Amino acid sequence: MEQFIYYLKVSLISIRRAPLPYALTIFILSVGLGVFFANATFYYQLNSDPLPEKSDKLFFPMLNLVPYECSTDCRTPRVLSYSNVEKLSQTDTPSQAAAMYSADGYLRQRADQTPLPVSIRITQRDFFAMFDVPVLHGSIWPDNSARPEVILTKATAEKLFGKSDVVGEKLLLDDRNVTVSAVLDDWQMLPRLYDANNRNHLSEADDIYLPLETGYDMNYLSNSQSQTFDDTDYRQLSTQGRTGALHQLQYWVKLDTPAQQQAYRQFMTNLVQDEKAAGRHPSPPNNQLVAMRDIVSYFGGDSSDIKAFALVTLLFLLVCLFNASHLSLNRYLSNQYEFSLRRALGASRSQLQLQMLADVLIMALFTISGALLTGYGGIKLMNNLLPANRLFSDWDLTLLLGLLTVAVICSYLVTLYPSLRASFGSLNQQLKE
Amino acid sequence: MSFYLLFKVLFSRKVVTGLLLLQLAMTLALLLNSILLAKQTHQQLNQPTGLDVDNTLLVQLKPTMASLRVYPALEELLNRQLDAVQAMPGVIAAAYTNQSAILQGGNNGNVYIDGEEDRTNQPSVPMYFVSKDFFNVLNSDVLQGELPQHSVSLDNPVQPDVVITKSLADKLFAGKPAVGQQLNRGRVAAVISDFYGQRHGTHVMFNNIQVAPPFSVDWGYGILLRVQPGQAENVRQQVDKVLRNVEPNIEILHVRTLAEQYQRLYRNEYGLATLLALLSALMLLVTMVSSYSSTHFHALKRQQEIGVKRALGASKKVIFLELLSENWLCTAIGALFGIGCALLLNKALSQVITIPPLDLHLPLLASLILLVCVTVATWYPAAIATRISPATATKAL
Repeated sequence: MEQFIYYLKVSLISIRRAPLPYALTIFILSVGLGVFFANATFYYQLNSDPLPEKSDKLFFPMLNLVPYECSTDCRTPRVLSYSNVEKLSQTDTPSQAAAMYSADGYLRQRADQTPLPVSIRITQRDFFAMFDVPVLHGSIWPDNSARPEVILTKATAEKLFGKSDVVGEKLLLDDRNVTVSAVLDDWQMLPRLYDANNRNHLSEADDIYLPLETGYDMNYLSNSQSQTFDDTDYRQLSTQGRTGALHQLQYWVKLDTPAQQQAYRQFMTNLVQDEKAAGRHPSPPNNQLVAMRDIVSYFGGDSSDIKAFALVTLLFLLVCLFNASHLSLNRYLSNQYEFSLRRALGASRSQLQLQMLADVLIMALFTISGALLTGYGGIKLMNNLLPANRLFSDWDLTLLLGLLTVAVICSYLVTLYPSLRASFGSLNQQLKE
Repeated sequence: MSFYLLFKVLFSRKVVTGLLLLQLAMTLALLLNSILLAKQTHQQLNQPTGLDVDNTLLVQLKPTMASLRVYPALEELLNRQLDAVQAMPGVIAAAYTNQSAILQGGNNGNVYIDGEEDRTNQPSVPMYFVSKDFFNVLNSDVLQGELPQHSVSLDNPVQPDVVITKSLADKLFAGKPAVGQQLNRGRVAAVISDFYGQRHGTHVMFNNIQVAPPFSVDWGYGILLRVQPGQAENVRQQVDKVLRNVEPNIEILHVRTLAEQYQRLYRNEYGLATLLALLSALMLLVTMVSSYSSTHFHALKRQQEIGVKRALGASKKVIFLELLSENWLCTAIGALFGIGCALLLNKALSQVITIPPLDLHLPLLASLILLVCVTVATWYPAAIATRISPATATKAL
């Protein structure tokens, strides 16, 4: 330990002897790593798996079940109609299944109050179990039938009532009476993969939850994506919306085993054959069963700006590494006389390498501090310039540890070659110079 | 000063020169692609919209009571709101619309000549349901026919007439007169000048407009105001109060000029171009530091050599030029490699974002920027090196 403290002292003396080149090396490495940290944060969070234990078991089935024969564009619609979902629900193969969409509404306690604009997730009871949504008070709807009951998030309950335990309270949702049946605990699924259409996976969770059948009864239209493939009047959602080709639903099924997945695929194939035979499927079959972890890329919602920036920040980090190595090499070559003298006095190369490790430690400490500051500033800047990704700017422990490891490795790499070169120099050569 | 000697000096320090060349090459690659992206974003932000974007305000709003979102209460509300905003000082014209112009996507559908769907179908054409002053607000030129003067309900057995933009008319009718022709959405009453509709539409200038009350306002609706030049800010400050006086049970989602709306539409591209520009500036700074440090260090190492040259009659100017020439040569070689790297980076970036290919004059411009930066960075250490006196050489000997 005493020896290591001595090495640290020698390193500090060396820094004090030529502070400008050292400061420039730290500055360049900090900037390179900071920019890399900032982008890596977004990249890591955007590509993280919010449900690692079950994301390979959750699937979004899609059918090309529309009332027209496609000629050129035979892509399967990204949203399903109510009747399509009914057909896809006619099997017990999935252990859980939930259809859903989102809408906007206004919530208040009394008619004379200022309404609170809310985002509504209109869905079925399995949604909460499928996506591990925690319940704080009350209970989830017992079945999928229509009922004037809403589930509030904790934040919405506190905003409306000033407390979270509000089960049984009455509310007006767009001037219609509803009762609070449950309150959810703090929950944020990021990325919100159950709603990846139109890049909605970048948004926050909704404020309240309403049963699907009630949503249709109350004529709530999707605020995200809806398509009509016939003359269905979308103002008549409760009647025509249930039978016509008005597509606005997303549907998720949980298929626990490969056998279940195969069985569900077969079920979809059989369903399409039956529909074709009945003349209700004029387009060529194009069934899709997309796993949750692939849904963003399936919908083409990958954050291309972050990907592009990742490429250039990696390039920038490389340039900074080369540059820092270059500066470091100059610094070590300036100190070569000292290295050679120590070699001449009997210090082994491995002892010189220990000295180098002390240098790396000090450099890593300065670099990490500088990189974290630059990274923090970079994240603020990116939030400002690319606000769509602002929910993905948090550092967690895994990310932080990963980034710190990268910083130490970079500090080591920057010092490795220059120190080796300096320790292999001969005293004779130095004396001649 | 021969090239041979310059090369010899550079390659006498292979590792340092190699690292410097790599940096220069990568800096040029990033600089070139940043310039390309910035140029593209600039073009996107400055493409013609066909609209007076600075003097047109959009108020996006929604009634908070369900009873106000259905007819006839909705129509009565829309008319009261229009009357109130039209009376505001500085407002030239006002109109309601189910959706604004200059959007990413929105309410859209297929448009085709009746009976010729296979041949003429145009998907994703924005559908506007507007009050009759909409065309006046947008300051549209009527190129063919006459604008509809009365609002007709979309529930009417006879569809309301449609007004289409010139680009859509040209696409559907290939230069033939469009007025009187029957489309799946209704009879064409007029063709107006192009304006920017939806970015995700088949063509940004394709638009289909009907003078009719909106089918539904579940997604909210817009009130468009054309204001006198310089009055946008005054009107913006007052419009909230005016509309709430008409009906307090509304939520005003936002009030923007169409210029702001347009900026928001290309916000991501602008953000990425800004980030790349900042990164390029940082990369240039890093390269300048590298060039400075390299010249400074090697001038120090070559004190004896410079001293001998000075003793043999080399002037300060010659020493200065020699040091700069080394860096210029290094920059030129780095720039050559950089163009290759830029092509590779351009190809990689085009896999994830839309970026134009490299053209011929841009590498020259970027190399010039790089050369200026390197010259600025090496000027000071080169000038210091010229101060080495011939006596230094004598001492060394």
